[in-house]
Amino acid sequence: MLSPIVLVQIVVNGVGLAAIYILVALGFTLLFGIMRVVNFAHGAFAMLGGYALYYLYSIYDVPYLVAAPVAALFVAAAALVLERFVYRRFYQKMFQSMIALLGLDMAIASTALIIWDSHERSIKPAVSDILQLGGIIVPADKLVIVAVAAIALAAFYLFTHFTRAGLAMRAAAQDVETAEAQGIDTRVTYQLSFFIAIFMAALAGGFYGQTYALSPFMGERPLMMAFIVVILGGMGSIPGVALGGLLLGLGESFLSTFYGSSVSVFVSFGAVILLLVFRPWGLLGTPEK
Amino acid sequence: MDLRFGNFGFRAMRSLLAVSLTGAGLALATAPAVAQEELKIGAIAALSGGGTAWGLGLQRGVQLALDEANEAGGLKIGGKTYKLKLVVFDDQYNAAQAKVVADRLVTQEKAGFIFGPVGSPGALGSLPVTQPAKVLQFVEGYAPAILKNEWNAAYVFRISNSNREFAEPIVKWVKAKMPTVKKIGMIAPNDATGQAAVPILVEAYKKQGYEVWVDYYERGSKEFTPLLVRMLAQNVDLFELNSNAPGEAGLLLKQARQVGFKGPILQSGGSGVDEIIEVAGPLAEGFLKYDVIDNSLPAVSTLLKAYNKKYSGVFNGTSPIYYNAAHILLEAIRRADSLDTTKVRDELEKLGGYNAPIFGRVIWTGKQEYGNDHQLFHAFIIKEVKQGKGVVRDVVSSP
Repeated sequence: MLSPIVLVQIVVNGVGLAAIYILVALGFTLLFGIMRVVNFAHGAFAMLGGYALYYLYSIYDVPYLVAAPVAALFVAAAALVLERFVYRRFYQKMFQSMIALLGLDMAIASTALIIWDSHERSIKPAVSDILQLGGIIVPADKLVIVAVAAIALAAFYLFTHFTRAGLAMRAAAQDVETAEAQGIDTRVTYQLSFFIAIFMAALAGGFYGQTYALSPFMGERPLMMAFIVVILGGMGSIPGVALGGLLLGLGESFLSTFYGSSVSVFVSFGAVILLLVFRPWGLLGTPEK
Repeated sequence: MDLRFGNFGFRAMRSLLAVSLTGAGLALATAPAVAQEELKIGAIAALSGGGTAWGLGLQRGVQLALDEANEAGGLKIGGKTYKLKLVVFDDQYNAAQAKVVADRLVTQEKAGFIFGPVGSPGALGSLPVTQPAKVLQFVEGYAPAILKNEWNAAYVFRISNSNREFAEPIVKWVKAKMPTVKKIGMIAPNDATGQAAVPILVEAYKKQGYEVWVDYYERGSKEFTPLLVRMLAQNVDLFELNSNAPGEAGLLLKQARQVGFKGPILQSGGSGVDEIIEVAGPLAEGFLKYDVIDNSLPAVSTLLKAYNKKYSGVFNGTSPIYYNAAHILLEAIRRADSLDTTKVRDELEKLGGYNAPIFGRVIWTGKQEYGNDHQLFHAFIIKEVKQGKGVVRDVVSSP
C-alpha cells in the first residue's frame, strides 16, 4: 500500500482537512485570546453561515464570489445583537461563558431545527472538477478551501500586527486595564473582534456545508475540531491554530489511511490529553501567570 | 413559529433557551383538542443530534396515523371513545437517554404502547424498561438482540425487515446482476448499529463466495477520504454502504466518487434515497439502494400528500414504516377491544392477513431466528438513481 503516490495523496488529503480545521478554529481562538470567552456556540454560527450561503447561492443564484462573503457578513452583523445581550456579559469570565454559550448553542440549533427541519441539504458546488495530477486526485473544492484558509491566516496575521485596530486587539488581549489606560476603547475593540470571529466562523460554515452537508446540527463536529485545534496550538494563538490544524489534519489523514479511523481518533485525543497534562498552554500558547 | 434574530431581546433569549432545554420534540408536537377520554401513545425518537431526520420521520408517521383515527371519530374501545394523543420524548439517538425517556413514558405518562426509538442503540437501551413493565414497543433497529433476548421479546415487535431478513436476498441479487464483482468494501459506524448489522451482511456476502473488507468510523465523522483511500488500496469491486445514516451514506457516496472509485455503490439497509441524493448531488448517479417503499404506489402517494400538507421537508423513509405500524397497532387494539397490553399483544400475533396500508398483508416471522414471530416481513425494492431521482429497478419479495 505504501508508495510515493499514496503518500502524496495522504498529504494532500491531510492539507485539505487541515484547511477546514484552521478556518473554523481561527475565530474560536480569537474570541478566547482577546475576551477569554470559550465560544461553545461557535459551531452554531458556522451552521448559520452555511444556511445563509445556501439561500444566497443555491436559492437566489447570487454569484459565488459575492455570496460567500456576503453570507458571512450577514451572520456576523446579525450576531452583534447577541454580542450586545449575551456575550458582553461573559467577557473575561471563562467558566461562566462555557455554560452560557453551550445553552446558546442549543437554542440556536433547536431554533434552526424548527425553521429548516432536520434533513440534510447540499449547497451546490462552486467548482465540482476533480483534478488528476499523475496518480494524485484532488477535488477542486478542497483546493478552494486551502486557498481561502491560507489567505485568511495571512490576513489575520497582517491585521493583528500592522493595523491600528489589530494592535489594539493584541493590547487588550495582553492587559485590558493597561490598554484602556492607553486610550483604547475596549468595548469597540471587543465588538470588532467578535464581528471578525463570527465572520470567520460563518465563512468556514459555508465551506463546511458545501463540502459536506447542511443541517441544524452540522456545527457540532466543527466545534469539536476547533476546540481540539486550539488546545493543540495554544488557546489564543493564531500561529498555534495553523500548527494545530496542520498536525490534526495530517495526523488524521495518515493514521486513518494506514490504521483506520478508530486508531486515528484514539491517537488524536490521546495527544490532546498528554498535552493538557504536560503542556496545558499548548504548543505555541503562553502559560497563564 | 416566528423567531426573528433581529428582535433578539433577553426575554426572547430566555424563551429560546427554554425551547431548547425542554426539547424540540415537545415544541414540535402538535397539541390535539382536549377530549373526554384521552389515550396517550408514547414515542421515543431522536429529535436532536445526528439521528434527527429518522426521529422526525417516526414522530410524523405515527402522528399521521393517529390523526386519521381521530378524524374518524377516535378509537372505540369497550364502549368508550378515545382521542389519541402522541407523547414524544427525545433520546438523542443514545441508549442511555432512551432508557431514561422510556422510564418517563412508562411511569409518568402511563403509556402502554410505545413507538421507537429508531435504530438499535436506543431500542436495546429501552427494552429493560418496557419489557418487564409489559409495555408494547414497536421498533425497527437491526440488532438481533432486539428480538432475541432474556424476555423472549414478549412485548416488542420489529416493524420492518432487519438485515437478517433482507441480507441474503440482496446478496443473491448482486450475484445475479453483477457477476464480475468479487470483492466487497464496507465502511460502517463504530456503534451498536454498525457492530450488530455489519457482521450479518458480511456473513451473507461470504456465504455467496465474496471476499469482504470492512472498516469502521466514529459516528458524526464527515471526512471519509482517508478511509476511502485505504479502501481503494484493497481493490474492492463494489462499495457497500450497509446501515449508514442517510447523511453519512451521502457523504461516503460523494467522496468515494471524488477519490476515483469507479465500481458500483450499493446500500443494503436504511430507508429512503432522497436525502442521499440531496447530499451527494450529481455524484449519486447510478447509486443502488435497498428501500422499503415506492412513492408511486397509491397507498404511499396518499400518505405523501397528507405528509406534505402537514409538514415541510423531505419525506423520510421511516415515516411510512411507523405509519404502517401505527395502523397495525390500532387494528389490534380494536380487535382486542381492550387496552390491556397482553390482550393487544395476543391480537397482534393473530393479525396475519390484515391488510396494512403501506406493506399490505401482515406477515409475522422470526420463530426460527429469534424464537418468536415478532418480526414483520415485507417485500422490498432496489432503487437506482437516474437523472437525480431514485427509480425502482427491482422488487424482491422472497426471504
